[in-house]
Amino acid sequence: MTFLHLHGIEKIYGKEKGIKTTALHTIDMDIEKGEFIVISGPSGSGKSTLLNIIGGLDAPTSGEVILDDINLTELSEHELSKERLNNIGFVFQAYNLIPVLTARENIEYIMTLQGWDKAKREARVHEVAKELGIDDLLDKRPDQLSGGQQQRVAVARAVASKPGLILADEPTANLDSKNAEDLMELMKELNEKEEVTIIFSSHDPMVIGKAKRSIVLKDGRILENRLNGH
Amino acid sequence: MLFQIAWRNVLRARRRTVITLALSTISTAFFIFYVAMMDGSYAKIFKDSVEIYPGYVQITHSGYRDDPGYEHLIFDAKNVEKAIRETPGIALFAERFEGFALYASDENSIGGMFAGIDPEKEKSLSRVYKAMKEGAYLEPGDTDKLLIGADFAKRLGVKVGDKVSIITNATDYSFAADNLTVKGIFQTHLHDFDASAAFVTKSYFDRVMLSQNMATHIIVLPADTRESAAIAQALREKLAGTDYEVQDWHQYMSEIIEAMEFDRYNGIIMMWLFLIIILFVIMIYALLTIFSRTKEIGIMRAIGTTPLQIFYILMLETLILGVISVAIGGVIGGWLSYYFELHPIHMESFEEAYRQYGIVEAVLPTDFSWGVVLKGTGTMLVLNLLCALYPILRVNRFKPVDAIRHI
Repeated sequence: MTFLHLHGIEKIYGKEKGIKTTALHTIDMDIEKGEFIVISGPSGSGKSTLLNIIGGLDAPTSGEVILDDINLTELSEHELSKERLNNIGFVFQAYNLIPVLTARENIEYIMTLQGWDKAKREARVHEVAKELGIDDLLDKRPDQLSGGQQQRVAVARAVASKPGLILADEPTANLDSKNAEDLMELMKELNEKEEVTIIFSSHDPMVIGKAKRSIVLKDGRILENRLNGH
Repeated sequence: MLFQIAWRNVLRARRRTVITLALSTISTAFFIFYVAMMDGSYAKIFKDSVEIYPGYVQITHSGYRDDPGYEHLIFDAKNVEKAIRETPGIALFAERFEGFALYASDENSIGGMFAGIDPEKEKSLSRVYKAMKEGAYLEPGDTDKLLIGADFAKRLGVKVGDKVSIITNATDYSFAADNLTVKGIFQTHLHDFDASAAFVTKSYFDRVMLSQNMATHIIVLPADTRESAAIAQALREKLAGTDYEVQDWHQYMSEIIEAMEFDRYNGIIMMWLFLIIILFVIMIYALLTIFSRTKEIGIMRAIGTTPLQIFYILMLETLILGVISVAIGGVIGGWLSYYFELHPIHMESFEEAYRQYGIVEAVLPTDFSWGVVLKGTGTMLVLNLLCALYPILRVNRFKPVDAIRHI
């Protein structure tokens, strides 16, 4: 059964100002549960826009995003927030950890909002932190961590509450090749172990090669949609 | 849970917290002190005006205020005094007889008040005794000794020891005259009073004016001056059925009260201007601090925090900082108000200007009250919350995707 269904997604910027820029042209896409997908393409091809629309961070100009039978394009801002809280994890290119919170508190944040009790939260933080190799960094604040460490914390935050979908927008763009490869291996492991659907964007061939399916965008259109041979 | 997040934000963002706390604490303390100073200066004007001579409660004939002639005297002062003695809560009372006389010196002749007083009791009832400038105050046994205002003496051209002749009507409308010696000169700094008032002992006055057991006023000093209205009411009930009326200072000094009320409006306008300035300063700072967190708020929104939760978190942060700062500001403002109530600020350089407003001593006391502290802290807390409201609503309108890109 289709886990994520995109139908006729179009995104036009500046429509209200009369200077139209079409970022996405009628995108149709179906993604099954547990997939590990990369959206690639050159800068300005619409990768980030597509991920933002899938995650409900941005609204399409037209079209539908149906995630696990819920039409995100019909939800209010409040309902979208709840949907993001409960079903979608985000990993951003610039890590985007909450600066005043420690690594532990950042990882706990979503679970806290979801109402997990303290003991369960702590156990899950330790479990995820151990998997990602950041268990000795939990009491540090983001500004005390390296880029690679921050991105691991961001991944831990995204997976800790066990969402059905993780969206990662160029997660390795700010990392060196070693850290980038390590992170991709970790995400791949999480995909397999936690059975979470992961969609990430990248234009790094090494990163693209780790994905099971590759969708290539160019000028806001799907140029290629193929399974990678592993 | 939201409180924990808000509390953590307050603790972690130390610089932001310290600046916000300092701004709000200083504003609260200053606001409370300003109101206490305003109340203190008005209280002092009233206190000075009342205590210099008129007193807190006056008993007169009911027709005296409209027609202060000999037909409207208290003719049985001893009976009235008996009623006063039976009324609880009264510290002191004394008869006064205020008449009019023509005063003549070697240089000049001027009309002025000629009043008989009980010198001993008046030491507590008025400030004439404390306002002695030259010579000596009256003694109970003095007969032809005159205590005269400094400006009055100047107009007559007399000094201590000089002779002054008086001509007046006694209470039976017979001719009364005598030669008096200036025993003392007082200066209260209330110009009209200093320029027209002169006193002799009531016992001597009664002999000259044939006014035994008569008075124009009986002045009553309540044990607690804040209870003047209640004491006046009790005396009114006691003297019901007589020709006498009892007024407390709010009634017979209503003109000065009205003038002060008008002046108070100016003070209140100033206070509101001050509040508006504070409001803008806090709002601008709130705007800057909240907008500087746009990215952080965008991240929180992106990972599932609802706009309402963001609103609660930011309002809780404001509330936490507001409560702490108004509490500290309240203590500082309250303490300053209390300290300067006990140790009033001396304003020598403004002495002349102050006298125009009836403030005799060039001191500016504050008026500490828990009411002012509570009102001040409450107002500042509400202002803090109001100031944060607009930036919070505004920042919450950003789409998460735009907020995250905010630098």
